Amino acid sequence: MSAILFNITYAHFLVLAAVLFLIGVLGVLVRRNALIILMSVELMLNAANMTILTFARMWGDLSGHTFALIVIAVAAAEAAVGLGIVVAVFRGRRNVDVDRLTTLRH
Amino acid sequence: MMRWVFILVTAFCLWGAAGFIGSAADAQPAAGGRPATKVEIKDSARSAPYGHGDKLENKPSSKSPGMALLFWSFAAATIGGALFVVTRRNLIAAVMGMVGCFLGISAVYMMLYAHFLSVVQMLVYAGAIMVLFVFVIMILNRPEDEPVAPSGRAGQAIGGIAISYLVFRLIMLLINVKPPTPGALEAPAQVQLPNIGAQVGERVDWGSVKAVGMDLFGPGLFPFEAISILLLVAVVGAIAIARPLKDDNEQGGAA
Amino acid sequence: MDFNLKFAGLPILAWIPLLPLIGATINLTLGRKLSRRTVQTVAIASVVAACGLSLYLVFGPLLAQYREHNPIGTGLEQNIYTWIEVGQFKIPLALRLDTLSAVMILIITFVGSLIHIYSTGYMAHEPRYAAYFGYLNLFTGAMLILVLAANMPVMFIGWEGVGLCSFLLIGFWYEKDEYAAAGRKAFVVNRIGDFAFLLGMFLLFWATKDVSSETLVSAATNVVWPKDFDPANKSAAIEAFRNVFADRGSLDFANLNNPGFGEIYGSKFWGERLAAAGGILLFIGACGKSAQLPLYVWLPDAMAGPTPVSALIHAATMVTAGVYMVCRMSFLYSASTTAMIVVATVGLLTALAAAFMAFAQTDLKKVLAYSTVSQLGFMFVAAGTGNWVAAIFHLGTHACFKACLFLGAGSVMHGMEHGGSHTPGDITKMGGLRKHMKVTHATFLISCLAIAGFPLFSGFFSKDEILAGAFNVHPPGWPVWYGKILWGGLIIAALGTAFYMWRLYFLVFAGDERTEEAKHAHESPPSMTGPLAILAVFAALIGFIGMPHFSWVPSWGHALEHWISRSVVPNFYDPATGNPEIMGHASESTTWILLVIASGIGIIGIGIAYALYGKGPSKTVDNLVEGPLAPAYEASKHKLWVDEIYDATIIKPFRWLARGLFEIVDRFIIDTVAISGVAFVVSLGSRISRWFQNGQVQRYLTGLVVGAALVFVVTDCNTKQSFEFERKGDQLELRATMGAGIAGKASKLTWDITGDGIADADPVTGKPLEGATIKVNAADVTSSSVTLIIEDAVTRKTIRVSREVAGPGDEVAEPGEGK
Repeated sequence: MSAILFNITYAHFLVLAAVLFLIGVLGVLVRRNALIILMSVELMLNAANMTILTFARMWGDLSGHTFALIVIAVAAAEAAVGLGIVVAVFRGRRNVDVDRLTTLRH
Repeated sequence: MMRWVFILVTAFCLWGAAGFIGSAADAQPAAGGRPATKVEIKDSARSAPYGHGDKLENKPSSKSPGMALLFWSFAAATIGGALFVVTRRNLIAAVMGMVGCFLGISAVYMMLYAHFLSVVQMLVYAGAIMVLFVFVIMILNRPEDEPVAPSGRAGQAIGGIAISYLVFRLIMLLINVKPPTPGALEAPAQVQLPNIGAQVGERVDWGSVKAVGMDLFGPGLFPFEAISILLLVAVVGAIAIARPLKDDNEQGGAA
Repeated sequence: MDFNLKFAGLPILAWIPLLPLIGATINLTLGRKLSRRTVQTVAIASVVAACGLSLYLVFGPLLAQYREHNPIGTGLEQNIYTWIEVGQFKIPLALRLDTLSAVMILIITFVGSLIHIYSTGYMAHEPRYAAYFGYLNLFTGAMLILVLAANMPVMFIGWEGVGLCSFLLIGFWYEKDEYAAAGRKAFVVNRIGDFAFLLGMFLLFWATKDVSSETLVSAATNVVWPKDFDPANKSAAIEAFRNVFADRGSLDFANLNNPGFGEIYGSKFWGERLAAAGGILLFIGACGKSAQLPLYVWLPDAMAGPTPVSALIHAATMVTAGVYMVCRMSFLYSASTTAMIVVATVGLLTALAAAFMAFAQTDLKKVLAYSTVSQLGFMFVAAGTGNWVAAIFHLGTHACFKACLFLGAGSVMHGMEHGGSHTPGDITKMGGLRKHMKVTHATFLISCLAIAGFPLFSGFFSKDEILAGAFNVHPPGWPVWYGKILWGGLIIAALGTAFYMWRLYFLVFAGDERTEEAKHAHESPPSMTGPLAILAVFAALIGFIGMPHFSWVPSWGHALEHWISRSVVPNFYDPATGNPEIMGHASESTTWILLVIASGIGIIGIGIAYALYGKGPSKTVDNLVEGPLAPAYEASKHKLWVDEIYDATIIKPFRWLARGLFEIVDRFIIDTVAISGVAFVVSLGSRISRWFQNGQVQRYLTGLVVGAALVFVVTDCNTKQSFEFERKGDQLELRATMGAGIAGKASKLTWDITGDGIADADPVTGKPLEGATIKVNAADVTSSSVTLIIEDAVTRKTIRVSREVAGPGDEVAEPGEGK
């Protein structure tokens, strides 16, 4: 037990990333507000980032950092577009509840 | 609101401390004594491991309690912030939680010797993306949202059960990840980069701006260019989507 | 023995049943469009033609063969075509005319044509005229197939056919519910008998299928030839026999009656002889068809049908099918004493019980019905004592006088229908009809004399044969006094017969008219009285071909006996051939005494009836009925409550069972559980799948996450823990491979190398053997198999994996092998 607490290994980082990722998944599944969902997606991306950086450190491979940088850039782009969509949706419906976005259902 | 300020300040201080301690770990007792390990970076993920031969002196032991304290506190910040996001009704509170999470993540990146990315994380994520979110929240002007909707509880429960099981399972799996060489999280050696814009034989710190830049504008040039086009497309697209329709009299375009 | 007589492509024998069947087809399909005259002409002509053809064949070729004294047998056997041939099971559609079936076809066609003629008068006002005659013809055809059959399956065709026609004709006036119910009752009870018949047939097939034809041919041809038989004819006869023999299928009667089967019939089968089992099963079938205990209950109810139907089917022909079948299988029955005792006993009990039930009946036809049952009992006693000739003789005489009685009853009812609505057969409302219906009265009187056994009438001779045979019988294994008991019982039954028949006569014809209808009764038309007269003549005179065995009787007095003996096992076995004697010749004095007693009994019965009913119902009778004889009267009137007993013990449980099955199996299991259940499961499934796709993306993502979790779960479930071993020098290295499941991560692994079931310690170091990889000295591994004990902290189970560790070991581990 003390080994786990005091001896920080790569496993710790990976577990942290995994937990972060699953919290993000939980947020996507449970929350109704579109903005919160987008934020949860950002959480997931961050978790992935952390994982890749950990492995980059483990293997001594710098291309992991490049990858993570690209991921951040993509996340930014996606956030922008997603927020644009949220605004457009809000304009029509005056709310951003995803449970009400079911016009494609029938 | 005061507690948010308090939390932010604390996190910032810890972040700084982490950076300080981390760099202190790198510090060598004598100048000019960085070990010369010849390692070449390959493009594939499985690059050759570090050499075993050279040993660092005064390596900080990864068994140090300081490291543990730092890690756990930043991990708590990360997880706590993430949980905030997922559970808060108030959207602004969620955003604040997100920011705290990013702080924690950034600190953790620092512990992984990814200095550049740590700063980029703060700048881009906490600094730009979260600001974007705040803008949109203000536009929406309805920052309330019930965290757990009354309908669909069954689906949420099932999802929750599946996620808890996955947490458990992943933890059991990831606990056993071991590095290829013994000795974790030692101070990295310096690396020799390919001959692109660098002096021959130049050594740079692992994870520093220069190192990442060398990799980004060298082998990673194509992704870089592609990403710039992507960003352009994203900006144009966001504007196109969020633009008001012809008969709207509101001012055009958010963000 | 095969006469290649053909007419229009079909063997000549086939035309005997075919003619009435053609008549039936015409009447049933086109009958409604034809006029009454055409219908009756077609019907009568077909039966009369069959009669003529039968007469020609019997008194032509068959008689010629008979005179030849061919000891192998007398008869024409003709194969129409091979109906079924599967492996050892071969059924040719073959018909056989031998002396036994000759008697039967003469009776059937002759009495049948008379009844057809009678029906034209009786059913003159019937709207469904053509259907009636069609059914009547169909019945005649089926009955002819039954008696002409050369093997059991073809006989069964006829058997079922007459059962069907009985149902159709009993329930002819199906608009009345009780008549339709009577038809159903007849069919169902018959069916029960048919089931036993089938079982008997299957048993016989199973027992006899493997006997080679050579055995049978040699057994049949090893006979004692008469001294004057021409040797050339001898070999020709054997050749002819062999040729025909090859065509005969399984269950052919000539085969079944072949001495070559004697061993099989005598073989053990469930403790008894096989012949006993087969005989009893077939006899149960005969009980159903011929209305013996306990399956007789349909016959009194069958009086719901038109009277000519009762006369034809339930007096003369169909009910005699059982007797005919037993006589056909004479070899089988005589091979088993048990079967014969069963037949005789059941016959006796039926005779007595039915006679008892007839005492108190007030319906004209019901009395005659019980009388039929009783007389059939007589016939079965005869068959059961091995007296086949007497059984057939009584069958013939009974056909004549009973048909006459029934037709007379029909005539009476026809004449009484001035009143209209009431039950026409109620004898309490008749009386004094002798003044109004002269011909009917005369014929009825003659038939009553015959049935009572009045000397010199036909019934006298046939009954006496039966009684004498029963008295004298002593087959091997019977107690000596049993025959006497049979005789005594039959005497009582004969007394009863005479009594109730003459009670009937007196109540109907004697005395004064008791009601208006009786006063206005009229005689029937000649179409009805003509057959009555003809039958009465036969009832009076036919007995003279079967006279008792006195020395002064001319040979034609024993004509029937000689005739029939050619086709059945002989009554009187010749000790010289080693056959056991079934019936001994009684002395002449014994025969005389028995004769006198029998006729005396008949006259006494008539006398008692006269005393009680001579001038109509009398005060004496009423006093007796209300007084000392009250319980007997009640029992007789209610037919010993047999129907009620059946209802309570068999029918009600069956109804409950049917209802239970309906409710449980049909309603619940099939309808609710299976059908609605399937619908419910389908709708449940659709509800579940509908849940997954409600248009919300989050729901879809939930499915995705659950799927991911499931992948992990399945991997965990399919994990096989094992271990590898490798010998390195004198060291044994054991490596546990835990698979991909959770169990491996948090489990405690210990090893057992001594085979005692508990974890061991390393003998060298003393520390317990734990961990995923251990090394031990090979010498320390004392058992041939090593067990890896996994204690999983997560699932709290202990898993043991054992492997034999002989041999060099598994493949050498690769370097750098990780997880």
